[in-house]
Amino acid sequence: MVSDRIPPLISTQLTHLLAHCPISIKVEQMWSGCMNSSLLDHFTLVIPFCLEYVRWDIIYNAIYPLAKPDVIFGPEDEHFRPYRGTIDSKNALTDWNSKDPTRLLTLVLELRDYQKKRVAEVDDERLKFEISTMLSREGIEMLMSSGLDKPEEVKFAVPLLDMDLNKMVLGSTWRHQQKIYLQVIYPVGRKYSTTPSAPRLKLVSSPELKSWFSVEESRLPAWLDGMCMAEYLPTLEEMLENQIREAVALVEVRRKFITALAPHFGRPIEADPVFCRKVSFLASSGTFAFLVHISIPLQFPKQQPVLVLQSSQHFNSHNVPIKSPIMNDYPWSPRWETSVMAERIFDFLVEECLNFKRYCNETMLQQR
Amino acid sequence: MQGIEGQNSATTTAAAAGGGGLYTLPPARFSSEDILFCIDVDPECLVEMKVTGPNGRPFTRLDTIKQGILLFIHSKLAINPDHRFAFTVLGKSVSWLRKEFSGEVDAALSAFRGLSADSSSSGQADLTQLFRIAAHEAKKSRAQNRILRVILMYCRSSVPPQHQWLATQKVFTLDVIYLHDKPGPDNCPQKVYDSLVEALELVTEYEGYIYESGQGLTRILLRHMCILLSHPQQRCVQDDVDVPKSLTKKSPTTESASVDESAPVSSQ
Repeated sequence: MVSDRIPPLISTQLTHLLAHCPISIKVEQMWSGCMNSSLLDHFTLVIPFCLEYVRWDIIYNAIYPLAKPDVIFGPEDEHFRPYRGTIDSKNALTDWNSKDPTRLLTLVLELRDYQKKRVAEVDDERLKFEISTMLSREGIEMLMSSGLDKPEEVKFAVPLLDMDLNKMVLGSTWRHQQKIYLQVIYPVGRKYSTTPSAPRLKLVSSPELKSWFSVEESRLPAWLDGMCMAEYLPTLEEMLENQIREAVALVEVRRKFITALAPHFGRPIEADPVFCRKVSFLASSGTFAFLVHISIPLQFPKQQPVLVLQSSQHFNSHNVPIKSPIMNDYPWSPRWETSVMAERIFDFLVEECLNFKRYCNETMLQQR
Repeated sequence: MQGIEGQNSATTTAAAAGGGGLYTLPPARFSSEDILFCIDVDPECLVEMKVTGPNGRPFTRLDTIKQGILLFIHSKLAINPDHRFAFTVLGKSVSWLRKEFSGEVDAALSAFRGLSADSSSSGQADLTQLFRIAAHEAKKSRAQNRILRVILMYCRSSVPPQHQWLATQKVFTLDVIYLHDKPGPDNCPQKVYDSLVEALELVTEYEGYIYESGQGLTRILLRHMCILLSHPQQRCVQDDVDVPKSLTKKSPTTESASVDESAPVSSQ
């Protein structure tokens, strides 16, 4: 495209939205509404909502820059009519001012709020009850989704644990507040059946948390027949709290292991002092010097550390130092004392580094 | 250190506790590094190493330095992919080769394409500008919760470096690799070495390391580069460096000693 341009009024609105929105919205694509034009006046916003993303197309018209935009919702929101029943009252669209850069942001946030309110209108006794018990919780997000082929569903994102996870890891440099959520998905039904089916449940965490705690490894407590959220959440939170405390203790278990390696391998070249997930040493066998990279899984000591060797003297055809294949299958027992674990890894590598040296020499010969 | 953990048998020897005492890893704040290489491009960097390179072509000090830096970068990124690198060259004074810090190996490779030795010696090596650049970059690094380190690779056997840097604040770490000719009547590598040590001790924030070699062996430079991989916030003093550690079986005599010690107990 020769000169794809965004008309200035639209550009100002969009820039303001991206810079000031409290949630991180992204623009997925931009295109022109008119076939012969290179002016970009349509775009898709990807909006985080309820631990998922909704996509709304914002439709401006470059030929009428003062006109308010239209919004097209995704297929799961086919029945979303945000301003139904509000004909006479003011909303972000009736009150449109194309010269005010804040209006697009206001519109998006208002629509997002209406999404939440849809849930309150749902005609399902059980859901109404569940919602009423959860209203007191801070930070819950609710989302109604329905499509042509899919049954109506209500999704909840329930923030869990009233603890500041960032403070639980000493020295962490997490820039954002770490959080764990329970995503709950209920089918919407009209009648209150005697045995309402269990909702779909999933734990979701903020992304940086996984270097310290894996929600994937958490087994959710069972949802018993006839249970409701008000009963389930305390059980879940108690279980999670125990797992969090265990994660704190496991950092120290890994730290102790790293320390136990030093008498054998010397002072580490670099070790991760915050999560204690990795350590690298410089070792030698005769005149052959090589690095030993050890990565320690979250399930340590149940799961054994992964070892990789890296030569300082052998390079492949792209001038990259030759590495060994990863080693995670050597003799191991989680019941060993930490000092024995270190000793056994040392003994294993005494043998293995000779194999590695041979492997490096062979690889170099193959490249000639 | 010796004998404190009685159950550890013969594996805890005095040598094993090197590195300046019992190793600990406290939960400290930990910064990724911005590493600024400074490569000496005086014609002395074209002196040939002892072993020829592939195809029998002569391997110069500069070739070795490039290989050492590539090894360093690949290894450093394998240890932690968050470290970054930038490049300067030293002729008479210091100038940028590649200014943006980058964690991509390709950035180093493209910087090396623009790297060549000076055609004539300037007779001088002024480090003032290097320290000025480093202090300025260190402020930027700190703002991103990173630390700055300079690695100087010096090649001149008769020209001690000089500088007019006051070092009122120590805001970056300095490491030095010094490749030189064997000492003789026409050169003064010891004097050069001493000036490098002096400069290092004046400016360095964390413990800085200096390694020298006059043997012309690439393997030795590569080994020294590996020691320099050590993270400045976790270093011991250079005298206590105990790596690379030799991975050999524990000697049979120590093993039988522990067996002897336990025998009297079991015979009771």
